[in-house]
Amino acid sequence: MDFWDILSYSAWIISAGLLLWMLMDAIRINREYDEDLLISSREGADELLEADEKGGRS
Amino acid sequence: MAQRYEPPKQSGVGQLVDSVLLMVFVFGSLMFSLFYENILGFLGMGADEADAAAAAGEVTWDSLGQNEVMQAQWEKLGYGVDEAAVLINDRFDYTIDPVALVVTAIVIIGYFVFLFRASDKEYREVLREKFDN
Amino acid sequence: MSEQTATAPAERINLLKVLGPVHVWALGVGIVLVGEYMGWNFSVGKGGAYGSLIACWFIGLLYTCVAMIDSEVTSTVAAAGGQYAQAKHIVGPLMAFNVGLYLVLAYTMLEAADALVVGDLLAIVAGQFGHPDLDPKPFVVLTIASLAWLNYRGVFMTLTVNFIITAVAFIALVVMFFWTQPWNPGAVLLHEKLLTDLPYGWIGVIAALQFGMWYYLGIEGTCQAAEEVRSAGRSIPLGTMSGMITLLIAATITWYMAAGLLPWEYLGQAGVPMYDAAQMTGSPTLMVLLFIGTIFSAIASANGCINDASRSWFSMGRDRYLPIWFAAVHPRYRTPYRAIIFLIPVAVAFGFTGLLDQVITFSILSGLLGYTFMSLNMMKFRKSWPLDSIKRGYVHPFHPLPALSLLILCGATYFATFLGYGASLLAIMGFYIIASVWFHFHRYKYVRRADQFTMPWPKPQGY
Repeated sequence: MDFWDILSYSAWIISAGLLLWMLMDAIRINREYDEDLLISSREGADELLEADEKGGRS
Repeated sequence: MAQRYEPPKQSGVGQLVDSVLLMVFVFGSLMFSLFYENILGFLGMGADEADAAAAAGEVTWDSLGQNEVMQAQWEKLGYGVDEAAVLINDRFDYTIDPVALVVTAIVIIGYFVFLFRASDKEYREVLREKFDN
Repeated sequence: MSEQTATAPAERINLLKVLGPVHVWALGVGIVLVGEYMGWNFSVGKGGAYGSLIACWFIGLLYTCVAMIDSEVTSTVAAAGGQYAQAKHIVGPLMAFNVGLYLVLAYTMLEAADALVVGDLLAIVAGQFGHPDLDPKPFVVLTIASLAWLNYRGVFMTLTVNFIITAVAFIALVVMFFWTQPWNPGAVLLHEKLLTDLPYGWIGVIAALQFGMWYYLGIEGTCQAAEEVRSAGRSIPLGTMSGMITLLIAATITWYMAAGLLPWEYLGQAGVPMYDAAQMTGSPTLMVLLFIGTIFSAIASANGCINDASRSWFSMGRDRYLPIWFAAVHPRYRTPYRAIIFLIPVAVAFGFTGLLDQVITFSILSGLLGYTFMSLNMMKFRKSWPLDSIKRGYVHPFHPLPALSLLILCGATYFATFLGYGASLLAIMGFYIIASVWFHFHRYKYVRRADQFTMPWPKPQGY
């Protein structure tokens, strides 16, 4: 077992760790927050909206 | 006054099925093009002519049309004349099959026409709901 | 707006607005620069060294049109889906669904290819250090997993990292350019003896257009950041245009160095041409520098791809083009976290199918379909909303010339793809046609009609 083997195994372990972390975090968020809040984002840039209300183009 | 369209609520299973189905389409088309090329290869179409060219007669840097600078660069890359000949003689074949070309053109143009027409129908409905209420 | 607003919670979680023009540049150039390190050189194989240079500039023109058109539309439609949101507002839902798919697939497939590059390069290095047959798989997965994690944790750090590694990769090319003494022809660069006539004539030049796209493929991804950029109307045009200038410089010096160091027949099929070119100079420092540049450019590209693909997937979910579940924003990191997680196994699967050729062709063609859309979209945009009807952050000059040139160049590039990958082209078109039919007859029933149109614009003219 040389340096490269160790590197390969660490790559697998770190990847698994990161994926697991993301999955756990996502599950925790789903539990802690209301689904309606999580999907509440709306499209559209606010400063453009404001500028448009003033009218005219630059 | 246009009627406001109220979409049905999709179940969790339905959402999962739709996501997976879309991915099945993607991988299906990737597999299909591989499958198609394998069939062509099996029937002996689209065969590689490079080997035949390389096999014909003795190759020298001269016969490959390489000057001394090119030769030096090839050797610096670790290529002898025989290995280089394989790369140099590997040429693309640009003969055009007119039927395939026409079919491809019709598919692409037809696709965009369909997209714009169907989109337009849906778009008018969106505008009706958005602006006429 | 009755029901939606009544039932919606008072508090909303939106994506975080933290990015500046530098991040836009990093996103755009970061995705593309790997194409300068590898991939572009297949155009040399298709049409010879000069053929590739002509393709480089012609396609550069195509992308300049793309950048101009995109800057105008995005400075007006500033939403996370980029071109997807443009299509939704200007052409219609089915077109938007297709554009969203182009983006997600082009980027996710490119991401897979980038990760494979990282794995393969490490395997090559391991071979040189006495460990042959290193399995690249764990490194491919690690690349995708760690970049997805970075994306999950927040867009600001993701694109700041991208800025640093992209800048290093770009500087590596510039350093090598000066090292080869371009002012002193014959010293290192041997153009006079290495350049040949067009080996296939002009048809080869057209065939080269397909891989000529590698020089710039992905710069249009800057639009995906629109919802996260402060003052998008200014930052996006600035970041995109400066990115395009960076790429035109990078593409030209890349061609110049490689064509002056390698015989075109070799260059035309090389896996890592810039690393090979560095090897030809005989300088170990340059070799290390270009190795780092290659790795960094591949990582930056994968990173930007994850960012862009997840934004498109997220915005399609938000409009229910895809399941609404994907429209969730992480309450702390403010990222589209479910879209990011969902696309991880998809990217890994693309990487491990062993169909790299098909995957890359799929990615390029999806990009090309997107450019075709942009051209048609621009003409419709100016017609439906003439210049004085809505506020635009940026107005591009010479309309409709850029849109028309873009359409013509797209046509030529379809022809090039037909010459090289005719069967794949039809299979991919088959996919988009099936997906469109599926959307039109099945999926669209879940979409709220008026809610997709979010811009505060007047009714388009002609409707």
